Amino acid sequence: MRVLVVDDEVELADAIARGLRREGYAVDVAYRGEDALEKARLVPYDLICLDLTMPDIDGLEVCARLRDAPPTELPPRVLMLTARDSLDDRVAGLDVGADDYLVKPFAFAELTARVRSLLRRDSGGTGAVLGVGHLELDTSRQVVTRQGEPVELTTKEFALLRYFMANPGRVLSQEELLEHVWDENTDPFTNTVRVTVGTLRRKLTADDEDPPIETVIGSGYRLIDHEPEPEPE
Amino acid sequence: MKRIAALMPAWMGSIRIRLTGLYSIVLFGLAGAVVGGIYIGLSRTLDDEPVARTYRLAQLFPTRDGFIVSEGDLVTSLTGFESAVNARALDQLRTYSFLALGLLFVASLVVGWVIAGRVLQPIERITSVARDIQATDLSRRIHLEGPDDELRNLADTFDDMLNRLDVAFQGQRRFIQEASHELRNPLAVMRANLDVTLDDPDADADDLRHTAEIVGRSTERMARLVDDLMIWARQEHLSLRHDPVEVGEVVAAVAAEFEAPALTEGVSVRHASEPGLWVMGDAAALGRAVANLLANAIRVSISGTVIDLRSGRQGDWIFVEVADQGPGIDASDHHAVFQRFWRGDKAAAREEGRSGLGLTIVRQIAEAHGGAVLLDSALGTGATFTIRVPAVPADAPTQPLRLDV
Repeated sequence: MRVLVVDDEVELADAIARGLRREGYAVDVAYRGEDALEKARLVPYDLICLDLTMPDIDGLEVCARLRDAPPTELPPRVLMLTARDSLDDRVAGLDVGADDYLVKPFAFAELTARVRSLLRRDSGGTGAVLGVGHLELDTSRQVVTRQGEPVELTTKEFALLRYFMANPGRVLSQEELLEHVWDENTDPFTNTVRVTVGTLRRKLTADDEDPPIETVIGSGYRLIDHEPEPEPE
Repeated sequence: MKRIAALMPAWMGSIRIRLTGLYSIVLFGLAGAVVGGIYIGLSRTLDDEPVARTYRLAQLFPTRDGFIVSEGDLVTSLTGFESAVNARALDQLRTYSFLALGLLFVASLVVGWVIAGRVLQPIERITSVARDIQATDLSRRIHLEGPDDELRNLADTFDDMLNRLDVAFQGQRRFIQEASHELRNPLAVMRANLDVTLDDPDADADDLRHTAEIVGRSTERMARLVDDLMIWARQEHLSLRHDPVEVGEVVAAVAAEFEAPALTEGVSVRHASEPGLWVMGDAAALGRAVANLLANAIRVSISGTVIDLRSGRQGDWIFVEVADQGPGIDASDHHAVFQRFWRGDKAAAREEGRSGLGLTIVRQIAEAHGGAVLLDSALGTGATFTIRVPAVPADAPTQPLRLDV
């Protein structure tokens, strides 16, 4: 999941980015409204954490412009961050199309909970736990189990699997994975996607089974979402 | 008066009842006096000048011996008749008078009650509106209609007062909102950094140090903001001193105070002052205003440039001018710089822990002295801030006497 953090408070934006990266999100940072719009034009973000008050273009304006011209088919979710808590401010924020609202100062755990909840809305899930086939992924505790057995994953592998599990059965191209799971500091010509998908597949595959992630030649990768066949007696 | 009020029973507390009572008593008293006067006058007149005259009438009664002349008896009975008629007339007058007075008393009570009610009606209205007005919502007004009389005057005065209160309250509310917003940002920075670092099991000493530094900077920023808020609030609500102040001395003291910080920045401050620049005001506040301007000038100045600090007299005004050779301020921002929490470069301002209240305080101090602060600047030409305060007239008889303490 790719997230853009926009705040003119540099140290706040950096801290949020640091924390979200550790949760397995691919995070970009913008310190000005203009930069935020520029980045949102280039990258199909899944979520934008947007500060309301910024010196150049304020958050309301950024949000309105994002909504006027959605850069992708699936517009990013917007979580407004603001130091203003009056009713009028909240209504104004939600009116221009923000999906949720968080008043500063906030506990970081609350921010991540809201981020998870907003991202869940896209994948149609309701709880913090995603389940596909034998696999279960707890987005809140960051735990993955396969047939009830915990699987050790790195943060990047976890992020990759989460994206697969949010889009089960769909063929995901390398470019899409790169856009949604890796941040702007990644070299677009790298083979990191192929390598990470390879290691993830190895970790998720038991000795005697077909791998749950298959390669669709020429298109990308797909997480197999049909029900696990009953084991032969 | 208070003692009388204390002796009155509780139901007399209503002005309407008191007015009615007063009206009724006065009317009754006057009517009673008139009727009494008529009665007494009439009864006197009737006694003094009886309508009956004494006639010497003789009646002859024939007897066997001739006539007996009877005299006096008849006259006496006539006089008795006369006075009996008078007494009855007075009696009736008294009866009707008492009856009329009784009716009058009742009527005067009713009329008094009605009139008092009418007179007091606008006051009722003023009271009910005043009662409805909450401290948080001062938007209601009395808007009393009717002739331009004393009560209308009173209501209009109330409305004016409410206007002033409303403006003051709104300003204060806005200020509190802005201030809390300004305080929340550093709090959010601290909270987010602490949460993220403490949640990280792999955080090493460098990470912790980095976080501690960020928290330190935020704390400093908040502390300065709170300091400036206090100064601002104090000047807003407490009156400044009104002493004779020699501006030249104030400016010289500030210049001396900033000599060292200016040197560290590689900026020199050129100070020039005319003698005898007397104003009425608060030396500490004026010093603070000049210090804020000078601190700003030093901050924006490029190393190796000069800041001109001049004070002098221009007509009826004493002015202090701080001219830097920094980047200047765009004309479109000239109005905004004096507003609360305005900062040219927000990120840089935060680094330096500036509150964004400095110039607001300068303007406030200048205006409190009956003066103003002016800005002359354009991008690339440096900025000149001028504080001007009315001068004490040179020929004023109260030429200030200075006592060195």
